[in-house]
Amino acid sequence: MDTIRADHIISLEKLSIGYQQENVLLSDINLSVGPGEMVALIGRNGTGKSTLLKSMIGLMTSLEGTCHLDGRSIGQYNLPARARLVSFVSSQISQLPSLTVGELVALGRLPYTGWMGRLNRADQQMVDQALEEVQMGSFASRKLDRLSDGERQRAMIARAFVQDTRLMVLDEPTAFLDIPNTFDLIRLLSRFRDGGKSIVYSTHDLEMAMQCADKMWVIHEGRIVEGAPEDLGLSGLFDELFQSSGIGFDEYSGRFLFNGARKGSIRLEGKEDQAFIWTVNALGRLGFSVDSNADYQLNVEQVGTGYQWTIEREGGSVSFSNLYKLARFLTQDK
Amino acid sequence: MKIESRSIAIMYFMGLLLIVLALIDLRLGSIRISLGDIMGHLWGGEELSDQQLVILTRFRLPRLATALLAGAALPVCGLQMQTLFRNPLAGPYVLGISSGASFGAALVVLGAGAAGIVATWSLAIAAWIGSGTVMLLLLFVSHRIKDVMTILILGIMFSSGLAAVISIMQYFSQASALKSFIIWSMGSLGNVTGSQLTIMAWAIAPVLLVTLAYSKVLNGLMLGEEYAASMGIRIERTRIIIFATTSILAGTITAFCGPIGFIGIAVPHMARFLFNRSDHRILIPATMLTGMVVMVVSDIVSQLPGTERILPINAVTSLIGIPVVVWLVIMNRKAQSL
Repeated sequence: MDTIRADHIISLEKLSIGYQQENVLLSDINLSVGPGEMVALIGRNGTGKSTLLKSMIGLMTSLEGTCHLDGRSIGQYNLPARARLVSFVSSQISQLPSLTVGELVALGRLPYTGWMGRLNRADQQMVDQALEEVQMGSFASRKLDRLSDGERQRAMIARAFVQDTRLMVLDEPTAFLDIPNTFDLIRLLSRFRDGGKSIVYSTHDLEMAMQCADKMWVIHEGRIVEGAPEDLGLSGLFDELFQSSGIGFDEYSGRFLFNGARKGSIRLEGKEDQAFIWTVNALGRLGFSVDSNADYQLNVEQVGTGYQWTIEREGGSVSFSNLYKLARFLTQDK
Repeated sequence: MKIESRSIAIMYFMGLLLIVLALIDLRLGSIRISLGDIMGHLWGGEELSDQQLVILTRFRLPRLATALLAGAALPVCGLQMQTLFRNPLAGPYVLGISSGASFGAALVVLGAGAAGIVATWSLAIAAWIGSGTVMLLLLFVSHRIKDVMTILILGIMFSSGLAAVISIMQYFSQASALKSFIIWSMGSLGNVTGSQLTIMAWAIAPVLLVTLAYSKVLNGLMLGEEYAASMGIRIERTRIIIFATTSILAGTITAFCGPIGFIGIAVPHMARFLFNRSDHRILIPATMLTGMVVMVVSDIVSQLPGTERILPINAVTSLIGIPVVVWLVIMNRKAQSL
């Protein structure tokens, strides 16, 4: 672990977090975030991800250790000054106020406006720009309860964006989103990162994190490991991480495999085309490995515009017109 | 900008409506004083008779002023509570302020066993001390308890506890004292004397200005305390200000007028509906104005125009407020209306 450098936007030294001294979630945390870096925080439910994120930026009090924000201890900032350095997006969407998107985003200027909270022209421009940035330029006067989950999350992020901070911390920003919305959101965060912001976000989506994060913080067995995604993959950490839950990590593809019970092996014959690859996938899902010495043989061949799968065994052969029927046969027959 | 000018237009309309209603309110009563007489007196035309003048300045004007103060203060408390607890059914009394005041009043009326001391200084002061004690307790608790919802539950429990104690006191008290206390608990705008009104106005007006100054902070609280803190709002200080202002406003009104129900919960929703805004910079003055209108209307209704009888104000405000809350729950369930 390298030493704390002055240019780190945030650096944690021997930090302990939790609710009380008797209930320490994580201790001896030493982590840092550089400028323009995107950090993904990974860990199973209940390991202290939210607590770490909130303690790190002063929304919760930490139990021990120090946390430096832009070179100064976090306790030395008054709240408005801190709010001009760090913005936060929470995982909870409890009760939504009946604000319009524009009003919500404008709240992000609170640390900058005067006592009546009046927006000047520059503030208003930032709000408009942020809405454009998250592709919600035409949503300004729409009420929050009329938004989809993805739109609402983008509006919340636009609010954090107009807070104009060097560090943006997000607690499970993709938790309620479908795959396209997740991609959109991560792309948005990457764009902020490329614009010079530092981003820290927690997630369960390890595959996505591996594709976009500069650095990962992985909580495992009460400690946090820090490193580039590939370094962590190389160290075998991910395999360890999911060992107990029957999930395997393929260190070659960087993908996770769900390991069901092994059911047997099959000899697969056919042209090595797309149908062949998908058949291997299907067999894998059902718990069959492909083995050239297996007793049963499965043929894949093109028939007209479609494909045909034939199982050959003692007492004749059975043919199927799609993988679903084949799969039903394999699971019920054996 | 367009929304802003719409809000201002509604404000002007409500202001005008308030003036008209106030004049109607002044007319009502057993002694006839017409608007023409009042106008004439003000602009140096025909003088009012001495009797009319006494009735106007000793009774009707203080009564109207009390209605205006209560109408502005209680709904603002309700609005603050609804925003702080992010609960549309929170009102000025959820923290136990009125129970504290009632307890103080009960001690004087039932404890001293003295009937017929409704609307005296001792009663008002006792009620004030009661609500002030609750406020100090609240501030102490809010300093020690992090979760604001816990404070809400404690407030509700505390006021239920006080209500139980009061009912025990009622059970053991004399019939005449009991009647006095029950009449106090029905609320009245008409018992406030001129000097009491001065004290009330001095207690309430500056605090209303403080709530206006906190509108930016209330806006920040709409997303919850965690977001508010992340946007630079000092949560602990904010809570203290909100609890203190609510206690002073609701406590003062209750001390002088008795508990006045439902206005505090219902009016903020009426204002949100009328102005269609959630921005507290608009919503706080809008709530005050709407509250004053509703309170003057309640006062007019309570005098049962055309009859000699006067209804207790607490019953009238509840009968006006309850349909609003019912309507909100039924019609507006989807929109979170906060």
